[in-house]
Amino acid sequence: MPFLLRRVLFYLAAFLVAATINFFLPRLMPGDPVQLMFASAGNAMSPENLQALKLTFGFVDAPLWQQYLTYLQSIVTGDLGRSIKYFPLPVTELLGRAIVWTAALMGTATIVSFALGSLLGAIAAWRRGGLFDVTVSVGAIFATSVPAVVTSLVVLFVFGFTLGWFPSGYAAAPSLDPAFSAAYVGSVLYHAVLPMLTLCTVLTGGFVVTMRNNMINLLGEDYIVMAQAKGLSDRRVMLWYAARNALLPTVSSLAIALGMVLGGSLVTEVVYNYPGLGNVLYQAIIARDYPVIQGQLLIMTATMLVANFIVDVSYVLLDPRLKRA
Amino acid sequence: MTALLRGLLHNRKAMVGFALIALIVIVALAAPWLAPYDPGARSGRPHQPPSLDHLLGTTRLGQDVLSRLLWGARTSLAVGFGAGLLITAVGTVMGILGGYSGGRTDDVVSFLTNMVLVVPNLPLLLVLAAFLGQASPIVIALILGFTSWAWGARVTRAETLSVRQKDFVKSAEMMGEPRWRIMAVEIFPNLLSIVGINFIGSVVFAVITEATLEFLGLGDPRAVSWGIMLFNAQKASALAVGAWWDILTPCFALALLGIGLSLLNFAVDEIANPRLRTGGRLGRWSALIKAGEGRL
Repeated sequence: MPFLLRRVLFYLAAFLVAATINFFLPRLMPGDPVQLMFASAGNAMSPENLQALKLTFGFVDAPLWQQYLTYLQSIVTGDLGRSIKYFPLPVTELLGRAIVWTAALMGTATIVSFALGSLLGAIAAWRRGGLFDVTVSVGAIFATSVPAVVTSLVVLFVFGFTLGWFPSGYAAAPSLDPAFSAAYVGSVLYHAVLPMLTLCTVLTGGFVVTMRNNMINLLGEDYIVMAQAKGLSDRRVMLWYAARNALLPTVSSLAIALGMVLGGSLVTEVVYNYPGLGNVLYQAIIARDYPVIQGQLLIMTATMLVANFIVDVSYVLLDPRLKRA
Repeated sequence: MTALLRGLLHNRKAMVGFALIALIVIVALAAPWLAPYDPGARSGRPHQPPSLDHLLGTTRLGQDVLSRLLWGARTSLAVGFGAGLLITAVGTVMGILGGYSGGRTDDVVSFLTNMVLVVPNLPLLLVLAAFLGQASPIVIALILGFTSWAWGARVTRAETLSVRQKDFVKSAEMMGEPRWRIMAVEIFPNLLSIVGINFIGSVVFAVITEATLEFLGLGDPRAVSWGIMLFNAQKASALAVGAWWDILTPCFALALLGIGLSLLNFAVDEIANPRLRTGGRLGRWSALIKAGEGRL
């Protein structure tokens, strides 16, 4: 399928851009790039280990293009170097552990917000100008325009500290051992409530606005009038004629939302001390653990590209016109 | 343009948003007169709750929260509007250039735009800022400007494509006007509502992102801004020790600025696309709020 093939090539190019930024950034900074990148290593690392780490990042005695190829080779073989802060631990392993938490938290929050936001947006558009519409629209504006940091902190303050209903940090009670026991799973769910509430607040508004705007633009279409003229019930016209068609462009905003949720979940995880990618990144920034920071960019870019690709595929499935193009 | 302004004057969302922003701008400008203390100096004991001496309490370091809030407004606004202007300028130039030129130029511009759009913005910013060390507000504004123009470029390009087909552009071409003049004088004025939406959206984005970067510890901890206030308060575990004033004050300010800008943005959007309007019913909504207040 040429359309999808084109997209795949494009995503590969985009990934290469991220890798190239990683490669050139330390070399563009004033001063010695090796010194800059591994300054925080101090005496913690033996010279041999440091040498191996340098090799991973392409710091070899060779012309720049050869250094670049060395770095790309490390990435392609899945070697992102080792964390300086948690020294012998490879970056891929550190991030691999964290991504499970982020993916679970983020995935659920995105799906819930998408469903809720689209439904609210559809109803708001259907009754546009009514009380429901105004309440939902203004609420959505407020929710989207308040920074995720602020939402996280306020939710934490109200439900975590003032009311004390939910724990204020960690993904599970530290006293429990990770296991598939009812106690542990229950604790994980209990700890996920506040981060989830925060993420859903941040995300839902965006979906409401997109859905409402798409749908309002569709409501004047002939097939809507036709469906109403046929005497179909309001709910049927709203959901099966208008909302169904308005959903298509929303799917593309789902991809953008996924990119944003990476950002949103970053600060949320930091605020709730949640062991996901965001928190790992935060710790890495504080310790200037550059291999981890760079690895994050690659992982997050890759995730974003995969999400985009899934959206592309679903587009082809949902919109038959693309198959012929 | 006048229609846009007239529309804004009659739109309640726009007026509320405008009032909020005006309030923050005035407070920021008057900071030297309004602020009771030097924002950086120790002016009381650490983490004092709000009192008559310190209306919004003190920080962990004993600085006056109100003074820091007022002075910090300057930084947040300056970064927001500066970066917003930069983002809009780059995006508009790229969009018009690509949309009007077509051919090879357009291919390059579109490719660049799509590329920047799929590389997630925040991690990229974090990597950049991490290598720059402690980024001052100006550096943050610059990085934001050069990494976040893609959305605006895409929208502007799409709109340029439709304006390009209009008769007045054709006639300008026939008369042999230079290309830069056609783009700047014939096409640009017709894109003003798009550029306006892009600008306000970019300011919101810049304000939020600056605060986020600083909160994550990538800013200059000596700077006085709302993001740095959050960073210091979080570092001092303000919520855990019960010093809510330290952390909720910048939160409230950021939320207010974000809401004000977004209301303005939605209003411009509604005026450019009248079908989206919620109309005078917002009055009913505010009446409802008032009724609720009465009961409380």
